[in-house]
Amino acid sequence: MGAKTTEGKNGWGIFAQFTKDWMSIVGILLLIIIFSILSYIKFGAQYFLTWSNWKNILLQSATVAIVALGQSVILLTGNFDLSLGRMVCLISCVGAVLMKTHEMSPFLAVILMFLLGIALGSVNGFLTAYVGIPAFIATLGTQYVCYGTAKFLTGATPIPNMPESIGWLGRGYILNNMIPICTILMLLLYMGAQFVTTKTRIGRNLYAVGGSREAAFFSGINVKRYYFGTFVLAGILSAFGGLVLMSRLNSVAITNGQNYEFDAVIGSIIGGISLAGGKGRVIGTMFGCIFLITLFNGFSQMGVDPFIQDILKGIVLVIAITLDVLRNKKKD
Amino acid sequence: MGKDYILEIKEITKEFPGVKALDNVTIPVERGTIHGLVGENGAGKSTLIKVLAGIYQPDRGQVVLDGQIRHFVSPIEARQAGISVVHQEIKLAETLSVAENMFLGNLLMKGRLVDWNGMRSRARDIVRDLNMDIDVNQQVSELTVAKKQIVEIMHAINNESRVLIMDEPSAVLTDRELEVMFRIVRQLREKGITIIYISHRLEEVFDLCDNVSVLRDGQHIKTMPIDQVGRKELINMMVGREMGQEFPKEPGKIGDVILEVKNLNRGLLKDISFQVRAGEVFGISGLVGAGRTELARAILGIDKPESGEIYVRGRQVHYRTFSDAIRDGLGLIPEDRKLQGLVQIMSVRKNTTLVNMKKVIRGGIIRKNLEEPLSQEYAKKLRVSAPSMETEVQYLSGGNQQKVVIAKWLFQESEILFLDEPTRGIDVGAKAEIYRLINQMVQEGKTVIMISSEMPEILGMCDRIMIMHEGRKMGELSAEEATQEKIMAKCV
Repeated sequence: MGAKTTEGKNGWGIFAQFTKDWMSIVGILLLIIIFSILSYIKFGAQYFLTWSNWKNILLQSATVAIVALGQSVILLTGNFDLSLGRMVCLISCVGAVLMKTHEMSPFLAVILMFLLGIALGSVNGFLTAYVGIPAFIATLGTQYVCYGTAKFLTGATPIPNMPESIGWLGRGYILNNMIPICTILMLLLYMGAQFVTTKTRIGRNLYAVGGSREAAFFSGINVKRYYFGTFVLAGILSAFGGLVLMSRLNSVAITNGQNYEFDAVIGSIIGGISLAGGKGRVIGTMFGCIFLITLFNGFSQMGVDPFIQDILKGIVLVIAITLDVLRNKKKD
Repeated sequence: MGKDYILEIKEITKEFPGVKALDNVTIPVERGTIHGLVGENGAGKSTLIKVLAGIYQPDRGQVVLDGQIRHFVSPIEARQAGISVVHQEIKLAETLSVAENMFLGNLLMKGRLVDWNGMRSRARDIVRDLNMDIDVNQQVSELTVAKKQIVEIMHAINNESRVLIMDEPSAVLTDRELEVMFRIVRQLREKGITIIYISHRLEEVFDLCDNVSVLRDGQHIKTMPIDQVGRKELINMMVGREMGQEFPKEPGKIGDVILEVKNLNRGLLKDISFQVRAGEVFGISGLVGAGRTELARAILGIDKPESGEIYVRGRQVHYRTFSDAIRDGLGLIPEDRKLQGLVQIMSVRKNTTLVNMKKVIRGGIIRKNLEEPLSQEYAKKLRVSAPSMETEVQYLSGGNQQKVVIAKWLFQESEILFLDEPTRGIDVGAKAEIYRLINQMVQEGKTVIMISSEMPEILGMCDRIMIMHEGRKMGELSAEEATQEKIMAKCV
C-alpha cells in the first residue's frame, strides 16, 4: 500500500529514490552547477567553484549546522526550539564579557559558557517536559530573556578582539590550510549523532517519542526525560555554536546567532527531518545547512541585494515546510 | 419483486492501485428498513460508504436514489440528496453548542442574520422527539461519546436525510448507551428513514436489522432478510470458510497465585482486592467507566495507588513508573491501539522490538542481524499479514495492528499481561486468532488479565471473572457459574 521498496527498480528508479532520500545533496550539486555557470556568464571567470569560496561556505555552515543539530533532535521528538539563535547570542556575549571585561581565563570562561548552555536548555526542557507548556511558547519566552540579557550585558555594543587562544576554533585550518577545523568538528558531531540516533536504544526511543508520545509512554519510555534531554543537548550545542561563532568573527555582537533557529529549521527540513516529529536522518540536516549557506553565498556573489535575500529566505522556509507537508501527506 | 427500494447500489466497481476495493457490487435497500452491512476488515464496507457519501466516485456502476440515477461528486451533494453518514470518529465542532452543531452547514436565517432562537427551538423539538435528555445550549465537548453520536444523528434528521449510514456506532458505546441508540434507530425507521447499519457485533445486527448484506473481498456475497440466516451461516459467509468455534477456549497451566491486590484505593477505585493465578485468563467485566482501565493503571505503576498492597509472585511491589512494572514482567496492551499501542509511523520491525530492545542490543548497539530475524519470527508466530517487516504499521488493518501490539509484548516476554479491550473493532477472523494467542500464552504459563466490554468474549475465554461497577468490585464468578444475566445483575 504505502510501503517503500527499492528492489526491482531500474537505474532511473534508484536515482529517483536517491533524490527523494537525499534531496539536500542533490540540491547542493544543482546549486554548484547553476552558480558555476552563472559565474562564467556574469564575470567571465570562475569565482564560485573555487576552494577559497568553498572554505568560506564550509566555515559558515559549521556554526549554523552545529546549532541545527540540536534543533533536529528536538524536531525528532516533535518539539521546536525558538530560542536557539538568541541563546547563541547570549552565551557568546557572556563569554566575551567574561574574557574581555573580567579578564577571566578563556578556559574557565568556555566552561562557564557550556554551563550556561546547559542551564538555559534545562529551563526550556523543564518548562516543556515537566510543566507542560508548549515548546513554542516556552522557548519564545526564553528567547526574549536571552536577547534582553545580552543587550543589557553588552549595552548593545559589539566587543571586538577575542583572546588568541580560542582563535583556532573558528579560524583554524588543517591539511595545508585547506580544511577549516570547525568543519571537521561539525562533521564529527554529525557522524556521532547519526550513529547514536540510528544504532542505539536512545536513538530508537527518540524516534518513538516523536512518532507517538502516547505509544512511547505505553512502551515504558520515559517521554518527559527525552523531552528534557533534547533541550539540554540543544543548549550545549548552542554554547558550542556560540563559541565557534565568536572565534570565527573574532568579535561578539548582539546580532550574533540572529535567526539561527529558523536557519536550523530550514536546514533540518531540507535535510529530511519532519516537523511532525519521528522522521528523518539527522545527518541530512548537515547537508541541508550547507545547501542553505551555498544558496545565499551564490546569491551574494551574483549581487542580489541583502534585503531581497531576506525575502528569498522566507520563501525558502515556506517551500521547505510545504515539501515537508507534502511528504507526510497520507495516501487515502 | 414489487418491493419499494429507496436506494439501489448497481454494479459498483471501485479500484485503487493494486486493489479492487469494490467488484461489481449490487445491493438493493428497501425503503424504511434497517439494513445491516457486514464483512471483515478490508471487505469493502468503508469504500462502499464513501461512494454513497460522495467521497469516492465509482469507476463503474450507479447509485440509484429514489428511482433517479445519481453521481455524487462531493459529500455536500450526497447530503443535499438526503444521504448522511454518522462516522465512527465523531466529526463535530467541539467548541460549539449542540444546537449550533445540528445546524452546521445549514444555518437558519432571519433575513441576513442568524436566527438563533429559531434554531434552538427546532433543535429542542428534535431532542424531545427522540425522548432524549440533552441541553441544546451545552457545548459539545462536554457530552459523552454516546451523546455526541446522537447529536450527529440529530444533525442528519435536521437535514431531512432519507438515508442514514451508521458506521460502527456501537464500537465506543456502553451497553446501556447502546440500548438508547437502538431505540433511536428504531424510531427513525418508524419515521420512514432508511438506515444502513455497519457493525462487527453480530448480536446487534440480528437484534436490530431487517435485512443484511454480506461483503467479502470487495464482492457482494448475499443480501437477505435477517430472519432467514443463522449466526454461524452469516459468519461463514463473511469469512468465506467454515469457522471453528468462536471462542476456542483451552485451559492453561494453572499455577500459584502470581498477582494479588489487597484493598487498593485510588481515585474512583475503592477497596479492590483479588488474586490471579499463573496460567489463568482473568476477566474484568463491567460497563465503560467502571474503573477497569484505572485498576490496570494503578497496578502497573502508571497511576500511584493511594493505599493498598500489590503482590507479584508473593513479593510486595511498589512500582513508581510503568517501566518498573515492565521490568518486573508485567505488560499492558492498551485500549487505544492506534494511539497508545503502536507508533504508527514506525515499521512492524521497530514496533515489535520497542519494549525489549535489550534482546537485539549487543555492546550498546542495535544489531540488525539480531533484530531482523527475531522480529520476523514473532510476526510469523502471530501470523501478522504485512507486505514486509519494514512496512509502517499505519498501513496495516486493525486486526493486524493488534497482532503487532501483542507481538511486542510477547517479545518482551511479559509474564502477566493486561489486555484492555483486545478485540475492539476487529473482525471475526482476526478475533479468533487473538483468542488463539491468548490460549497459547496461558499454555506457556503466562497470565492474562482481560478487560472487555464484550460479554460473549468474557464468558467464552475467561477462567474467572471479576465484575466492577463505579470503582468497586461487585463480585467474582468462575467460568462454570457465570452467565450473562448474572454478570449484568452485578454491574448495574
